[in-house]
Formats: sequence, structure tokens, C-alpha cells
Amino acid sequence: MPSASENQRRSRVRIVDILLAILVTLGILAYILDVLALRWGLSTTYIAKSYPNYLRAAWISLYVTTIAYFIGMGIGFVLGWARSVQTLPLARVMAARRREAVAAADGGSPGAGLFLGTVFVYSIKYYVRRTADAYVAIIRGTPLFVQIVFVWSAVIVFYPRLDPLFQGLLSGVIALTANTGGYQSEIFRAGIQTVHSGQVEAARAIGLSRWGAMRYIVLPQAVRLVIPPLTNEYIGLLKASSLLAVVGSVPELTTFGRSEAFQTFHIFEAFALVVGIYLLITFPVSKVVEWIERRYRVPGLGIQAPRTARV
Amino acid sequence: MIRVEELQKRFGALHVLKGVNLEVQKGEVLVIIGPSGSGKSTLLRCINLLIEPDSGRVFLDGTQVNRRDIRPEWVRQQVGMVFQSFNLFAHLTALQNVTLGPVRVLGTDAAAAEAQGRKLLDRVGLADKADAYPAQLSGGQQQRVAIARALAMNPKAMLFDEPTSALDPEYIREVLDVMAALAMDGMTMIVVTHEMGFASTAAKRILFMDAGRIIEEGSPEEIFHRPKQERTRMFVGKILR
Repeated sequence: MPSASENQRRSRVRIVDILLAILVTLGILAYILDVLALRWGLSTTYIAKSYPNYLRAAWISLYVTTIAYFIGMGIGFVLGWARSVQTLPLARVMAARRREAVAAADGGSPGAGLFLGTVFVYSIKYYVRRTADAYVAIIRGTPLFVQIVFVWSAVIVFYPRLDPLFQGLLSGVIALTANTGGYQSEIFRAGIQTVHSGQVEAARAIGLSRWGAMRYIVLPQAVRLVIPPLTNEYIGLLKASSLLAVVGSVPELTTFGRSEAFQTFHIFEAFALVVGIYLLITFPVSKVVEWIERRYRVPGLGIQAPRTARV
Repeated sequence: MIRVEELQKRFGALHVLKGVNLEVQKGEVLVIIGPSGSGKSTLLRCINLLIEPDSGRVFLDGTQVNRRDIRPEWVRQQVGMVFQSFNLFAHLTALQNVTLGPVRVLGTDAAAAEAQGRKLLDRVGLADKADAYPAQLSGGQQQRVAIARALAMNPKAMLFDEPTSALDPEYIREVLDVMAALAMDGMTMIVVTHEMGFASTAAKRILFMDAGRIIEEGSPEEIFHRPKQERTRMFVGKILR
């Protein structure tokens, strides 16, 4: 155990640490500003005047990303769960059931009607799973850019009378949701399948239903395991939302920056703002997630506190 | 209390249970021994329907429970189970492990469940570990929490699947003591174990299983010292050493 004076010394050292970090950051920022504003001649008046418009554009990016991310999370969880369930094709289920029915000929076991019932339930599961597999294969196997262009084309062809802004937002949200849903399903599948099978068995043994075991036992553990890839996915999706620039009618951050650059010729200022704002969003996101990670950390499960001895 | 008739189970080509019959009276402790792969664990899991038997009948309190009109969850609430590898819920504290079943399955209110949970942890000697996570407990402590978790559902009977096999020798005693106390209190128990001491003192009857069948049944004295079957003799000879 460190003594009280030792602790004091450590907290003093930490304060010096933090001050140094702030100084270095400020220094770097000042240097960048110096390079940009003085040597390159970036217009600080343009930046000061128009940064609120950029922030407004950033809100659109943030909204679209966040909505898509959380709907996609629901899709991802359901698909990931479906893909983690062991299923058999209809023919094999029927063969197994027939064999069991023969073995059960002495009675006390399911009759013919129930036989068909189980076959139906099993094969439905099988086809749900195969559909989920196909969905993930298609989403992962094609460029997001193509997905966005495709959905957007479909929306403007089938709903030509909608407001262009709404058309753009709708197709953006649909494409990003579908895309992140596919990717998140793999994240959830990894999490669900990593939870030890004994956990489910114990949950079922105290009388929890399948859903109860998922809700109270598997999911809380799985989510703790997959916080880092889920964060990656959010940050990746935010950056991917810049692809909506192709739609043109949605003034999200990249689109707005591009049009500003072309209209005002403040190209460097525009993209400095765009890049800066993306960083301004993604960095706090990872900090917030770090906090959540610490807050819900459980000894011996998932991500642990960094140890002094590392591998 | 529990009766099993002509139980059969196959896993693909593997015929694990080939017609098992057994009966346990209320308050009785039945010990099952047998080599690994003989179907002991599968038998226990068929009794609380964690595994669905292919054929045969399982009775609980005179009611056949492996029927389509009976929810297996309902059966499992009434028959507690303790696993070889503890399987404590890794993200919950000892107390939360114990209260989860009553709160989420039985609908007990949180305060009452907590009071009962603390009482149960006290009963297994772990009142001071209520807020510890499974990873912070020794194997023996984890297994005792697992017993408390099963007891929290107020089961009519308890199934133990080699509860001490995964434990370091120093922790075996504490778990067996809890089980012996439970037996003294009149709990109906089916215990798969190779702990001869426990079997001799707590159980009146022992079943020897091999290759999916019950080969021999008798008092601990008969099974351990005067087995009739050759296979029992060979097996007992190996574990008594």
C-alpha cells in the first residue's frame, strides 16, 4: 500500500502531467494556427464568420449518423442473434424427428401433429438464419457508396414528388441504417457467441425463458465485450455519412464544406473547418465511451483495467 | 418426488441414455456414480428438461412433465441445478446472482428478494461476499453461491452435476458441508459425484451407471464394498484408490 505522502506526491505529479499535456496541445494548436493563418494566409475572418454554418451542417451529419446507428443496432442485434443460433435444414430436421418418433413409439412422446409443429419451428429458424446470412453477405460485399446511390435512385424514382431534402435524408438514413445493421450484426454475433454456453444453461436452469436468458444474462455480458468495435462502428459511420455528399441535396458537413469551397474559394478554410469538426465530434465520442467502459467494468469479465504487466 | 421411466436420449448417432428408470422419494438423497460418458449429466439434464428426452417419461410430484402442454421453464423453477463449472453469472455480484431468479422469474419484489438472498448467502457461509463478483471468489465460494442461487427459487428438489470435480482439493470440503447440511434439512437431492465420503454419509442409495444404463443400485455399503456386477467392481476399485 502506498503511504499518504506517496499518494500526495503522485497527485502532484499527475497535475504537472496534465498541465504539460495542455501546454503541448495549446502549443501545437498555436503552431497550426500560425502556419494556416499567417504563413498560408488563411482567412481567419472567413472562419470566424462562417463556422456556425458549418456546425449546423455538422448537426445534420450527427443526426443522420446517430439515427442510423441506433436503428442499425436493433437490426444488428436481431440478425446477430439469428446468426448465432444453431439451425438445421428442413430435410435433416425431418430425418432426426422421424428417427426420434420411431424411438418414441412406446408412447409418452409427441404425436404426429406436434411432429409437424416442431419441423415447422425448426425450419423457420433455419430460413430466418439463412436470410440473415445473405443480408450480411450483401451488405458487407458491396460498397457503401453503391448502397447509398442505389437507395437514393430508388427513392427519387419511386417518390419523385417528395422534397429533395427529404428524399436525400430518407435515402441517407435508409442506406446507412441497412449498412451499419449488417456490420453490427457481426459485432453482436461475436459478442453473443463469446459468452460461455454455461451461462445460458445456468440461466435456463433457474427458469428463465430464451428471451430472458438473452436479456438478463447474455446481452449484458456480450455488450461489455463488444464496446470497442461498437464505438469503431459509430465513428466509422459518422465518417461514412460524408458519402451522402453524392446525394447533393442534404447539406451535411462534407457537402456543405464542398459547396462553400466552390462558392467562396476559401478552399483551405472550408476543409480545415470540416476536418476540425469531424475531429471535434469523434474525439469526445471515444472519451465518453471510455467512461462508459470504466463505469460498467466488471472484474473478470470482458475488458479489464490496463495492467502493469502487459503482453 | 421425482420418477423417471424408460428415458432415452440420442445425440445423432450417439445413444446416450438407453432406457433409464429411477425414483427418488421426498427428502431422499440419491447419488449417481459412473465413468465419464456414461450419461449421468445427460440424465440430470433430462430431469429438469434442459435437454429434451427423445422418449420416456419424467414425473415430478406424480405429474408427467415432459409433455408439450407443460412449459419446461415451469419445471426448471422447481428443480434447482448446480453445475460442475459453477456457471455463476459473470456480470453480477454474488447477491445479484442469487436474486435474479426470484425477481425475474418468480416476480418477487426486489427488497424481499434481497433479504432472502442475504439469508441464503449467510446459510452457505458467504454473507460477507454479497457484493463480490464471481471472478473475485474462489472456486469453493463460487460453488456455494451457485447453490444459494438454486435455493433462491425454493426448489422441490436439487440436482448436482459433479459439484466438486472442478474444485481444488482444499475447497471441496466447504461445498460438501453445505450439501450435507442441505440433505439434513430434508432437501430431495440427486447428486452425481465421486466423493465417496459424501455418498456414504448423506445417501441411502447409490446408482452405478455405465453406457447409458443403470447397472447396479444399492446402499453405499453394498456398492462400495460388495458390488455384485463386475463393471461396478472395476469402477469402484479405481475410484476407491
